[in-house]
Amino acid sequence: MDQSRPTPDAQAIDWVIRQRDPAFDDWDAFTLWLEADTRHAEAYDVAAVADADAADLPAQPVARAVARPSRRIWLAGGAAAAAALVGIVGYGAVDRSPDLVRVATAAGERRTLTLADGSSIALNGDTRIAIDRDRPRFAALEQGEAMFRVVHDPADPFTVTVGGATVVDVGTVFDIVREAGSTRVAVSEGAVVYNPDAQNAHVAAGRQLQADDADATPRITAIVPALVGGWRTGQLVYDGAPLSTVVADIRRGTGTRITLASGLADRPFRGALLTGGDKGRIAGELAALTGLRATRRQDEWHLTRGGP
Amino acid sequence: MTAGDAQGIEAVLLANRDRLVRFLEARGAGDAAEDVFQELWMKLATHPTGPVGQPLSYLYRAANNLMLDRYRSLRQAALRDHAWADPDGAQDRDDAAIAQSPVTSVERTLIAREELARADAAVTALGPRAATCFRRFRLDGISQKAIAAELGISLSTVESDLRKAYGALVELRRQIDAV
Repeated sequence: MDQSRPTPDAQAIDWVIRQRDPAFDDWDAFTLWLEADTRHAEAYDVAAVADADAADLPAQPVARAVARPSRRIWLAGGAAAAAALVGIVGYGAVDRSPDLVRVATAAGERRTLTLADGSSIALNGDTRIAIDRDRPRFAALEQGEAMFRVVHDPADPFTVTVGGATVVDVGTVFDIVREAGSTRVAVSEGAVVYNPDAQNAHVAAGRQLQADDADATPRITAIVPALVGGWRTGQLVYDGAPLSTVVADIRRGTGTRITLASGLADRPFRGALLTGGDKGRIAGELAALTGLRATRRQDEWHLTRGGP
Repeated sequence: MTAGDAQGIEAVLLANRDRLVRFLEARGAGDAAEDVFQELWMKLATHPTGPVGQPLSYLYRAANNLMLDRYRSLRQAALRDHAWADPDGAQDRDDAAIAQSPVTSVERTLIAREELARADAAVTALGPRAATCFRRFRLDGISQKAIAAELGISLSTVESDLRKAYGALVELRRQIDAV
């Protein structure tokens, strides 16, 4: 803070900016600041709400130019999403062994790691990743989903190991999901090479590779690059993904468990969901968009055929 | 609910009760700080967390988020009361019916969408550099230092761009709340 007696709003903004760092722990000083002036708490509330609502902003203004099918229903943004964000959120566990740093997030929790070279890895919920301090251009995704924004260096490509395979960057931005014996790699900018020593599959921007452990031949399909990693801003957008994938994404991103009646797992889903809002709502919205019926069983929701 | 039963994060919560209650008081809970503390306890008990790296910091964040939740619901209620009390809006309709009809989710969706568009416009209006700084920081979670390196600008420029962007969003929030 500078010498010119910043206003309570300006001071509150500085606190909000500092607290965005997951390592922030100066809560005693923050308490003292709140106690110093009765206007501080209110100024902080306004700044913190502005910050929470900003989570729903489009990543780049250009993203809005991407065609969004009009049939998609965009659910309440700001308030609802922030309500979820301001629930109990955690900053995951960090397990430091000598060289390997292992980071884990709980379902419904998100976290971004920034590496020494400026590359960043955004972790979705229920995700485990290991990075090696001696190898800054390496990460091992053990489970869950991560979006990689890699500073590209042709002489020293960034490498991710996942499910026994290796993904090598030939560009910059890609998202990897590892779940239930299957790996998906979606590329939004640049390109990656999947298993250069085996299948050597080149995945360009706008493409997604899916490799099942049981099947040696990965499949490559087209995707909308701007939607890759949409989970970071709480948006899940699908164009024909199987419902089993949708409910897995919801569980990872929000912690809400949804089970499917038999025969529904492969049913294709088209539409958009926001992971904000209260936990039960996303199940209800998914039911409404699919014409299925959602019933609650203790902590989880069950989707079945049949009207409301 | 005794310290003997508590494990892990709940033990940390109990051990730091006084600090957290003091924080909640200052954070705006005032006399209700004890109640909010109980609420925090309940949330932790009903939403078990995985292992947490810095438990005390985690608890402060959870307490802080809880207060933000409270602030939001109080504000929503105030806005609703305000809308119901509006004589112009009630003129041609049955007052009781209006008082009973909650703001529909469709209306809320529209309001949220409009607010989001205004926030996006406010950030964009700062110019490409400041807007990029803000989006990289807030949406992509990139550190200020990394943004400075990426854009080839000084750390203090990043800092001042972020302050500007947050300032614009706070200004917008105040305008929306003042309606």
